[in-house]
Amino acid sequence: MSEPSLLWIDWRLAPRLSVRDSLWRVTFLTLVSFALLVLLLSGGADRFLASRYAITAVLRTPLPAGEGQGLARKVAGLQPVRSAVYKDPEAAWKDFLLAYPGLDSLPATGGNPVPGYIEIRLRPERLTAADIGRVTSVLRPVPYVEKVLAGEDQLPRLLRVKRVAAVLAWGGGGVFVALFSLVFLLQDRIRASALAPDFAFLEGRGVPAGRLAVSRAAGAAVSGFFLAVIGVAVSGAILRYLLVRVPTLETLVGPPDELLLPRTAAAVAGYLLCAALLAAVSSLNGFRAARAGRK
Amino acid sequence: MIEAFRLGVYSREATLWDGVDLVFDAGSVWVVTGPASSGKTLLLSILRGGRQPDAGDVVVSGESLYRGSANAARSFRASCGHVPERFVDPAGQTVGNLFRLSAIACGGMRDGERRERQSHLLSMVGLAGAEGWKLPTLSTSERVRAALAAELLRGPRVLFGDGVVAGAGIPFREMLGGLFRALAREGNTIVLAERHLPDRWATTAGEGKAAGPFRVYRLAVPAPPAGGAARPDAPGDGGGQGTEE
Repeated sequence: MSEPSLLWIDWRLAPRLSVRDSLWRVTFLTLVSFALLVLLLSGGADRFLASRYAITAVLRTPLPAGEGQGLARKVAGLQPVRSAVYKDPEAAWKDFLLAYPGLDSLPATGGNPVPGYIEIRLRPERLTAADIGRVTSVLRPVPYVEKVLAGEDQLPRLLRVKRVAAVLAWGGGGVFVALFSLVFLLQDRIRASALAPDFAFLEGRGVPAGRLAVSRAAGAAVSGFFLAVIGVAVSGAILRYLLVRVPTLETLVGPPDELLLPRTAAAVAGYLLCAALLAAVSSLNGFRAARAGRK
Repeated sequence: MIEAFRLGVYSREATLWDGVDLVFDAGSVWVVTGPASSGKTLLLSILRGGRQPDAGDVVVSGESLYRGSANAARSFRASCGHVPERFVDPAGQTVGNLFRLSAIACGGMRDGERRERQSHLLSMVGLAGAEGWKLPTLSTSERVRAALAAELLRGPRVLFGDGVVAGAGIPFREMLGGLFRALAREGNTIVLAERHLPDRWATTAGEGKAAGPFRVYRLAVPAPPAGGAARPDAPGDGGGQGTEE
């Protein structure tokens, strides 16, 4: 007598119930995937704050030709730095006039009053006191740098806001995942209870309970993995579409290209494995509960 | 051959029965009768390895069901069919689902083959076309016959029936008797638990033998035709005893 294939036993015994559960699961997994991708890209409020915060290195005048550009290139090479842009006094004056129109006559009285400067923006994930300190400590000893403006007075408040936002974002995500896990567990308990007479029938006819439980869990893990893959694909496509269609979202979430970064891919792979593991554990839990209810 | 030695069961702080010896040879139809609440269902459960007795042991083909290897016990259970007196409906709740479960229990079966055999077996028990019938809507007789047909799908070597004859009702009694005898002729063992032995069966079963609160009858099974389908390991009609005392 051959061994019965029990991997998809739930689908064979209760196809309608299994389809209904899977539809709910793929909906939840898509929502969780969307939240995860947004959090991975934005880092909570990191992306927004990083777009608002800049370190300004005010340069001495006159500056030898090419020194400003060279220094900006060197600063851009630092790990925490996303971009470092040199603005010569001319460009700086134009920016100043854009911000404060009506002061066009000032240079005529005593030359261009605005010095050249380098505007440095940090990577969202490197917006920390340590990294800001690292960048400013590299800039301050440079002889051409007159002053480094890093907003040290406001920095503790900014970092506190960043921490609170991160806790709220990841905490909210965690609560959502916990609720989702609970739904997973309940679904499996309900389905296993509905199938309890069938399992009893099979056990009574020589099908080992252990094999039944392990096969179901393996089937649940495989289906959980694939449902999560669908969820990630759908939510990734929606997020990419939104980021392309609404460019202002980039300031909050990040550029769509970052969806394909290795670190995003690694986090998503971990998420897929977690979804498979959760499906397997909840299947085992449901089976155990159904057996306990039968005794 | 199924042998039960000195079986004892204690229930509700009292001895239900003790020291019961039974032997069930292959290729025979056995009917165990006993009064209500005497433990017939429990006895069947013990004999098929579903509940360990409080005393004694059950030996199948020389191997203890409860003290031997778990694999041997599982193999025995896999070779058994069991028609319970009452059962909780499977998730699908249709007669067809009973057959689907039975097919899964025997290691899977092609859908086409299952449907063909299911249709044949249902016709045989007087339930032609009942595949889609909802189990809760069936009468006791229909439920018993549907469950029996689903068990026969796997071709069990040992068939346990709990109240099957009484449940099926008088119109189907002789049909079931003929079916069980035909199965026994092919070398299978049929063990039925009933409150009473039907009168017409008693004429061929004799007085039976007492075993604890039970009386065990062996129905006469016609010898297989020369060169017939009987299994080589199946004993002839005269072999074995109902009880050992």
